[in-house]
Parts: sequence; C-alpha cells; structure tokens
Amino acid sequence: MLFLDLLADGVVTGCAVGVVAVTFTMIYSTTRVFHVAHAGIYTVAGYSTWFLTTRGLPFWLAIICSIAVCAAVGALIQHQLYTRLARRDAPPLVLLIASLGALVVIQNLMAALFSPNILQIPADWRVLTVGIGSIRLSMPQILLAVSSLVIFAGLLAWSRYTSLGKRTRAVAANEFLAEITRLEPRRVYITVMAIASGVLAVPGSLTALDHGLQPYTGTLVLLTATIAMIAGGMGNLFGAFVTSVILAALQTTSTLVIPGQWSIAATFGLFVILMIVAPTGLFARRPR
Amino acid sequence: MRCTLRVSVCAAVLLTGSWVNYAQAAEDITLAALLPTSGPSASVGQEEQQGVQFAMDEINAAGGIRGHMLRINFDDTQGKPDQAVLALNREIDLNKVPAVITAFSAPSLAIAPLATRKKVLVLNPAAQADKLGTASPYMFNTMPLTRDETEVLAHYLTKTLGKKTASIIYENSAAGIDGRNDFIENFKKFGGAILSDEPIQPADTNFRPMILKAAAAKPDVVFTNVIQGDSLPQFVDQVTQHGGFPTVVGTTFLTPAMGLAGSNGWYYTAIRGALPPETDQAIMKKFGTKSVSVYTREYYNDTRILARVAESLIDNQKELTGENFRTELMRIRTFDGVAKISFDTNTAVRNIDILQVQNLVGTKVAEGRVGE
Repeated sequence: MLFLDLLADGVVTGCAVGVVAVTFTMIYSTTRVFHVAHAGIYTVAGYSTWFLTTRGLPFWLAIICSIAVCAAVGALIQHQLYTRLARRDAPPLVLLIASLGALVVIQNLMAALFSPNILQIPADWRVLTVGIGSIRLSMPQILLAVSSLVIFAGLLAWSRYTSLGKRTRAVAANEFLAEITRLEPRRVYITVMAIASGVLAVPGSLTALDHGLQPYTGTLVLLTATIAMIAGGMGNLFGAFVTSVILAALQTTSTLVIPGQWSIAATFGLFVILMIVAPTGLFARRPR
Repeated sequence: MRCTLRVSVCAAVLLTGSWVNYAQAAEDITLAALLPTSGPSASVGQEEQQGVQFAMDEINAAGGIRGHMLRINFDDTQGKPDQAVLALNREIDLNKVPAVITAFSAPSLAIAPLATRKKVLVLNPAAQADKLGTASPYMFNTMPLTRDETEVLAHYLTKTLGKKTASIIYENSAAGIDGRNDFIENFKKFGGAILSDEPIQPADTNFRPMILKAAAAKPDVVFTNVIQGDSLPQFVDQVTQHGGFPTVVGTTFLTPAMGLAGSNGWYYTAIRGALPPETDQAIMKKFGTKSVSVYTREYYNDTRILARVAESLIDNQKELTGENFRTELMRIRTFDGVAKISFDTNTAVRNIDILQVQNLVGTKVAEGRVGE
C-alpha cells in the first residue's frame, strides 16, 4: 500500500533528522550557541566513514572511528572557537557568524579533499532489503531507524539519570549559578559538544551509506532539524525528535494529495501556521 | 637631470613591457569556457574541462591555429546563472573574448541576452533545454535538444515496443522540466498515456518517494529525466531495492546509469558520435580516466569547431570578432568531428540512436533521426 510505503520512508528519514535535531537542541540549550556548523560535522561523519571503508576498514569499525573524529571536531570547535569568542564577550550574533564560517570551511574542505562528486560508501550489503509486511526497507534504512531510536532513548536517559546529564541540565538552567557552584560550565560545554557531535556520526554515516555523500547535504538536514527544534519547543529533546519524524512523514505522505514540488513548501507552510497558533512550540512545557 | 633620466628609463621599460604583452596577446587567440568547476555539478564540469583542455593542448602542440597559440580561459560558473553572467562579463570586458563555450541549460539561458548584446558567439556542446534553440542568434547548440531526443524515444516506445503508458520522474530544473514536457507531448502524440509525473530536486539522492509513486501507477515504462548524472547510481540502487520496477527509459542524461548493476533492460537515446580510438586512449592516459565521457567528447569536439572557425577567419584575413565567428560558422555549416554536425538553424542536426542495456552494456537497437 502506497501510503504505508511513503509513511515508512518518511519515518526513517525523520528518525535521522531527529538525532540531528536532538543533538542540536542539546548544544543550543546548554551553550546558547546557534551551532550551524553542526551540519558540517554531519558531513564530516559521512566522509570519514567513506575514507576509512575505502582504506579497507570494516564499516562498523569505520563508524566507531567516525564517532571519535566527530566528537573531536565538535570539542575542538567549542574549545578553540566558541570559548575563545565567549571570553571576549562576543555577542550571540558573532558566535552565529563564526559558526557559519566554520560550516563553510568544513564543507569546502570536504569538497577540496574528497571532490564535490557524489561518493558511495563501498558496502555490497547496502542494497539488501527486508520486507516488513507490504513495506520494503533497505538495510541502511533499518539500521538508521533502529540506531536513531536507540540514540534518542540513550540521550534522554543520559540527560535524566546520569550525573553528567544532570550537571548539563543545571548548567543549561543557569550558567551563572553553575559557575559559582563549581560545575565548570566551560568544561560541560566541551563535553556536551563532544557527545552531541559524536552521536551525530551514526545517522551521518548511515545516511551517507544509503544515499551517497555530498559536501553540502548537511545544510538542508540541519534546516529541517532547526525547524523541528523550534516547532517542537525550544530545549525539549522529546519535542525535537517527534517533530522531526512528523515533519519528514508529512513531507513524504503529502505527495499523495499534492504534487511533489509543493510538498516541502506545504509542510513548512503548515508549520508556520502552527507556530502562529502555538509560538512556544508543539511540546513546550507550560509554565508552572 | 638624473631624476628625469630615471623617469625616462622607467617609462621606457614600462612601455616596452606593455608592448611585449600586447604583442603576445596579439599572437594568442583567447577564448573562454564557462564551466561549473565547483559546486554540485563540478564532476560534469571537470569532464567538460578535460575535453576543452585536451583539444587546446593538441592544437597548440601541432603549432596552434595558423601559428597562433590557442588560449582558453576556464571561468567557473558553479552551474549558477548569476555566476555565468558574471563570468561572461569578466571574459568580455577583461579578455575581449569573441567566443565562449558554455555548459548547463540555466547558465546558458542566462548569458544568452548578454551574448546577443555584446555580439559574442556562444557554443553549447551539451545543454539541452528547448529554449536554447531560440535563446540568441549568437548561441549555437551542437547537440540536439530534449524535444528531439524525446520524439525519437517516444516513437520507438510506442510504435516498436508497443508501450502505451508511462510515469515520469524528472529533475526540477530547466532541462529536467523541458524533458518532462517534451516527453509528455511526444508520448501522447504517438498514442501513449501519462499516468503520473514526479519531480526530484537537483542533486537530491533520495528518490524513494518518487520511485514508490511511479511504481504504484503501474505504467509500462518510467521516463527518467535526471540531469545531474552524479546521482544516478543512487537512483539505480533504489530502483533495484524496490523490486519489480517497470522498465526505465530516458535520454542521453541517463547514460551515467548504464553499466551499473540493476540497469539491465533499460532504454535510452544517445547522440551518435565517436572519437578516433587513439584520441580516446590519449585522453584516458592524460587524465587517468577509465573511459571518455560523452561530455569530454562533445567539449573536445566544440573546441575543435571553434578552432576550425578561427582558422578559416585567419585564412580569409578577417578579424576575430564574435560577429565574424558567427558568420563564418554559418558559412562553413558542416563540421566533421565526433560526428557529422550540420547547422541549418542554431541547433545542429545529428543522428540519435536507441540503446538498450544488455549485460550492463549499452547496445544499439534502433537508429533515429528527428522528423523521420
């Protein structure tokens, strides 16, 4: 059935976008930096996995290495760029411009190092499919959906139940108070950035495995994730993930009733209306 | 006195330098190629650049054009119309080029009015949007346009194979939309019916929603008009994953998909043309490629056409202006290169073959010519 096929495709895409949205939300709600260079890290993930697999490393090992690479790049950006600018009391706009600059540098670096061509991660099993009822999904799609749900659940659990997660929430709630209670916000920022960037390597690599790699694709993914983050309720991890899935599912299933070229405009148009109705987001916590 | 002497010496040196530069510029024939050497279309742009570069090197190694070295400036358009206009302005104003080679439909359409105004010849080796046929009296297309290819394809599908229904997946770009419109018009003209048509954004590699919708319509064939060939391997993969997908058909733009596992049985049109085997070998050796793409071939050919026109102008002691390039090209009219190319209008008439992928190799199954 076409509707179910399209819905499944949308949900899988939404799960990948959901991880981007959740990690982006984590970074924004903790550091208050609108970290658009996150799209660059998403790109780095795919390229590092591609590079390592083409050098003979098994895909799984390559993904693990990519997690480390992305975590390091994220921590580096926080430590060498945002922290330095924050020390000089740079306003949020300057941080945003710096982040945009970092994104452009990363994307062009990837294009220069690996060519702007669409690259394919060499793994023969990527074309295998699995049938679930009438729905047929590729192996990368199944892995993408499962891993995204695991990452999402893991990040929620980490945020709520670990001491580092609680410390992060404390810093996010009040940086000044965290500073005087020796929670070391700047160290927390680096840790959050490393974790958020590291887990991004999983959907980044699996999407690259499924769709191929391009230096500039991360930008559109981040745009969707940003909208999901805002529409889901700023700072709400659950809202960001669920809204991403809804957004992607709407985008694909809407093609049943409207021509494909209108689906993106129609979906985002619907969210503009929703934002007018509920400006704090769909899943925003009500003030007590 | 000493000061005056110094100034005079400096002025003399500068003037001598300028004269030497001027003399060198007069010796060289400078043209330009406006190609997307960066951005999402860069892989095609690089293949095009290789064709131009190889032809230029070959011409210069053989002594140039009547003793004049050929210099072709590569100006990056990123595949964008605004950048193409900037590039053409740059080449006209700074380098006074009388003729340029262009690439991709949208950038070529964007520079057409400027080419008309500035009287600069624009040779288009591969872009195929229909509007290019009438875009400018100074623009010449050496490849048939999409309407010509889709006419031959639609005729073969309906009259020879007996296919009656089709779905369409097309790229939402100038050439993609033209291909879609032309196929609809021609397929209907020969008695076929269109069941669905779905757009894909340029450079997008997730074709699944479109593949699902096209297959659900249960057509005899799916006409695929994806212009950015880089993304076709992903299309082939996703069609293969779908299982039981109808036969895919297309035009020259489908060529990069051929040879990939999953493309067996597909039909596509191809503009007939071939380089001598030794030239093919030399190009592959020079650029370290495994084959010579249709783009490299056509851009090589067009550089040769420009050189032939320039040679004729020099022989007839005419100035190398855009106006003269245009007049001379129309006077020569027929060029023998990768194929016999003749200009009755601004768009060349060439043979179009129908190929089917058999054992992953494109095999000719029919020959066609527009209007026949």
